[in-house]
Amino acid sequence: MDQDFSQRRRRDLLVAAVLAGIAALVPLFVKDVYVQNIMVLTLMYAALSQSWNILSGYCGQISLGHALYFGLGAYTTALLFMKFGVLPWFGMLGGGLISAVIAMALGYPCFRLRGHYFVIATIVIAETALLLFQNWDWAGAALGIDIPVHGDSWLKFQFARSKLPYFYFALALACIAWLVTWWLEDSKWGYWWRAVKDNPDAAESLGVVVFNSKMGAAAVSAFLTAIGGSFYAQFVSYIDPESVMGFQFSLLMALPAVLGGVGTLWGPVLGAVILIPLTELTRSFIGGSGRGVDLIVYGTLIVAISLARPEGLVGLFSPRRKEIAR
Amino acid sequence: MTAETIIQSLASGLLMGLLYGLIAAGLALIFGLMDVVNFAHGEFLMIAMYATFFLFAFFAIDPLLSAPLVAAALFVFGAVVYLLIVRFAVRAKANAGMVQIFATFGLAIVMRGLAQYFFTPDYRSITHSWLGGKTLSLAGVFLPVPQLFGAMTAIAAFVVLYFFINRTDFGRALEATREDAGAVALVGIDKNRVFALGWGLGAALVGLAGAIMAIFFYVYPDVGASFALIAYVTVALGGFGSVFGAFAAGIIVGLVEATTALILPPSLKSVGIYAVYLLVVFIRPRGLFGSL
Amino acid sequence: MSISRRDVLLGATASAALLPVAARAQTSEVVIGVIYPLSGSSAQIGVDAQKAFETAADIINKNYDFKLPLAKGEGLPGLGGAKVKLVFADHQADPQKGRAETERLITQEKVCAVIGTYQSAVAVTVSQTCERYQIPFLSADNSSPSLHRRGLKFYFRASPHDEMFSKAMFDFFDAMRKKGTKIETLSLFHEDTIFGTDSANAQTKLASERGYKIVADIKYRANSPSLTAEVQQLKAANADVLMPSSYTTDAILLVKTMAELGYKPKNIMAQDAGFSEKALYDAVGDKLEGVISRGSFSLDLAEKRPMVGIINEMFKARSGKDFNDYTSRQFMGLILMADAINRAKSTDGEKIREALAATDMPGDVTIMPWKRVKYDDKGQNNDADPVLLQYIGGKFVTIAPQEVAVSEAVWPMPSK
Repeated sequence: MDQDFSQRRRRDLLVAAVLAGIAALVPLFVKDVYVQNIMVLTLMYAALSQSWNILSGYCGQISLGHALYFGLGAYTTALLFMKFGVLPWFGMLGGGLISAVIAMALGYPCFRLRGHYFVIATIVIAETALLLFQNWDWAGAALGIDIPVHGDSWLKFQFARSKLPYFYFALALACIAWLVTWWLEDSKWGYWWRAVKDNPDAAESLGVVVFNSKMGAAAVSAFLTAIGGSFYAQFVSYIDPESVMGFQFSLLMALPAVLGGVGTLWGPVLGAVILIPLTELTRSFIGGSGRGVDLIVYGTLIVAISLARPEGLVGLFSPRRKEIAR
Repeated sequence: MTAETIIQSLASGLLMGLLYGLIAAGLALIFGLMDVVNFAHGEFLMIAMYATFFLFAFFAIDPLLSAPLVAAALFVFGAVVYLLIVRFAVRAKANAGMVQIFATFGLAIVMRGLAQYFFTPDYRSITHSWLGGKTLSLAGVFLPVPQLFGAMTAIAAFVVLYFFINRTDFGRALEATREDAGAVALVGIDKNRVFALGWGLGAALVGLAGAIMAIFFYVYPDVGASFALIAYVTVALGGFGSVFGAFAAGIIVGLVEATTALILPPSLKSVGIYAVYLLVVFIRPRGLFGSL
Repeated sequence: MSISRRDVLLGATASAALLPVAARAQTSEVVIGVIYPLSGSSAQIGVDAQKAFETAADIINKNYDFKLPLAKGEGLPGLGGAKVKLVFADHQADPQKGRAETERLITQEKVCAVIGTYQSAVAVTVSQTCERYQIPFLSADNSSPSLHRRGLKFYFRASPHDEMFSKAMFDFFDAMRKKGTKIETLSLFHEDTIFGTDSANAQTKLASERGYKIVADIKYRANSPSLTAEVQQLKAANADVLMPSSYTTDAILLVKTMAELGYKPKNIMAQDAGFSEKALYDAVGDKLEGVISRGSFSLDLAEKRPMVGIINEMFKARSGKDFNDYTSRQFMGLILMADAINRAKSTDGEKIREALAATDMPGDVTIMPWKRVKYDDKGQNNDADPVLLQYIGGKFVTIAPQEVAVSEAVWPMPSK
């Protein structure tokens, strides 16, 4: 079993390296900006969903309020740049750290809550933050922050037309989020989480250590999500409370992992690769009708996948692992 | 701020709160029955409002008369949703909680899309109904008749629900199925039938709420979103598994919202509701009256 | 744009990307991108907008006898009779999607110009993207004043912004005061979005400049489930004029709630939006007798300019609705853009930009009550005079400014 496990982990790492290598070469062949844009978004959501998966999938604390950390990342980066001229690279780090600290501060009271009480608490906290930002004049309130773009610059991490720098950043972020998850799977945290999931009573006996590991998961998850938010601010170069902290966003971050497979290493990646292009393409090519057909297609797909493949689409790819899960 | 303003605020808050309670009742029932949170609850409300509107627009049936019809239609709809979707969602062996959330969330998106497709995104309102636009004035405090009627319906619905759950055979079957679905199968109760009826009943309640809301609220495909979150918070605040809790929490939510708007800028009035929810669950992790 | 030489030479990819989007072959079609919310909570606006743009395209592409640019003859004569083809895109009120769709329109659909967007937040990213690709963007119906102050070269707006609209309101108040009417106190009621914030800021500034007292400044959450607390504060303040900046949903709820709480405002001066939507008057029109809304369009212009009435009928045949403040500006947006493309005799972004910048169109060949269309160096048309419309007897009549007014204002609002 243990040998199987470490063998599988080595194989996962190899597969990931090959996939990342292939992904890195794709833009050499795909020059279309629109398609490149979809690829950037796919990687961004893969990274976000992977980060969400650490707390909600592995650790079992379902959060539907991750838009909070995403928004904090985006706002910290944009505000530091616009108000104090701090380069986005530092803003990114700052946003990540702030989010991690806030995630731990919120986790302290929230981790006592179970099931839907916890889910609703996460929604409500993110909504409160949204309302506060919507009314915070110094941070632009509803007007948001418009980051002026003056040509291409790596220092300021902004590029007028080229999507490649954004693509490679998003790819790197997705890889890092994947590696962190990969590493956590084999850490003592990972073992505790699995133990708690298989046997909730074990949670009692492990008590304090499990609580601390949950705090750790929240911090790592929030940190990575905030980096994603910083990236979004640079990528879109305009943020406002609704578009970075809205409830919809929390759901969108969770969806790829849910469809791909919650609490699995490959679920978020797989989910994002399927879901994001589908969302973008249905909107672009059916949404123009103004009749909501894109919503019908998109919603039906979510229902169908969650009913037909409750363990996620990863089950399709590795039947062997499905057996272990059962 | 005068005394009159405060009294009016509290009165309006109370009416609104009872209405929130009525909207949340169906959600609370379904959750109490089978631990499923219906993320399409707001969309159930939306179609109930549309049904009321169209019965009024095409057949000139007043919302008061159509309310039972709409509730009956929603009953069927709720049962069908259970049999076609939720039944399979709860069967999921892996990630059951997550599957329920996202299956019903997907359903919500489909329903919004369908509403937009068939009803267009236009905003509709019922213009002249028996109660619409009427208002009572008691010593300077204004009580709009439709909301007053909604509040009374809420009280009646909760009383009926209470007796229904505690005093009837079907209610006991619901209760028993909730506690041990395996055991009831032995005494010949079909779990799926009971759950389908439970879903039907929950949907019928939100149908009733929708019919009354349609008297004084506009209808459009996204109308449910504004109420759904309040309904979830209400049910959780009252405590999952307690229908009475939802009723009490509805009133609290309404009053908190009204008082917050007196103290903070009105755009922040929901913050008061959220703060009360967090405060309560941090102290009592199962809500006010929760058993789960 | 301050792209330095060094930046341009940074890399082969970057410099290739900065070349003007591939020179477009002479075609029999001129493709224009139209970007609106076509699904989501403001989908109704997008769906109505589609009809307005289609009406305008129809007039351009077929032969009509109107005194409107490009109506006579088929297509654009400057481009050998090329037809206008519209490509619609859905931004779902999301700035990120607006940006992505704009890029798709430009790079895949090869549009030579973009028109949009209803939501000002989306206009920010759409115009920014157009700037990067050097494709002209025309703000048909965004009224946020910050939009044209961002130093964009490819941004144009023919219609007034919130400061111009608010100024028209205060000009009207001043005129009423001169006549001896008492107007001292104002209540602001605005949603917590860009639109509401910009509008309230402009109104607050004008009120203090001109000596009006704001007795209540209520900022509320858009799409609220209830507005009772808000209305109570308005009622307690009971200002001489209530000035709402709300979209349709909240406008309906506001009017209903006011009636329920027994508050009858002395006067209402609305910042358009919901107050020009048919849905509002269908729902609560009986309670709105005498409400005044700013606008940039007025149907009673048809008496002076018959084509306004005929074009309105053409629009009505498609949408089942009369032109309102939005759909009229959307219609005009396409005419103005097509006119510029026609004069540019090219679909090259820079040439169209030059033609737009050189626009000087007298107001009487438009369907709007504007003096003329001429953009300043920021792309804003300062001659788009807003009008004030009063809802009397089931329809809107123009009451200000003097030159286009057809009747005197009923002041105060008739109380029933």
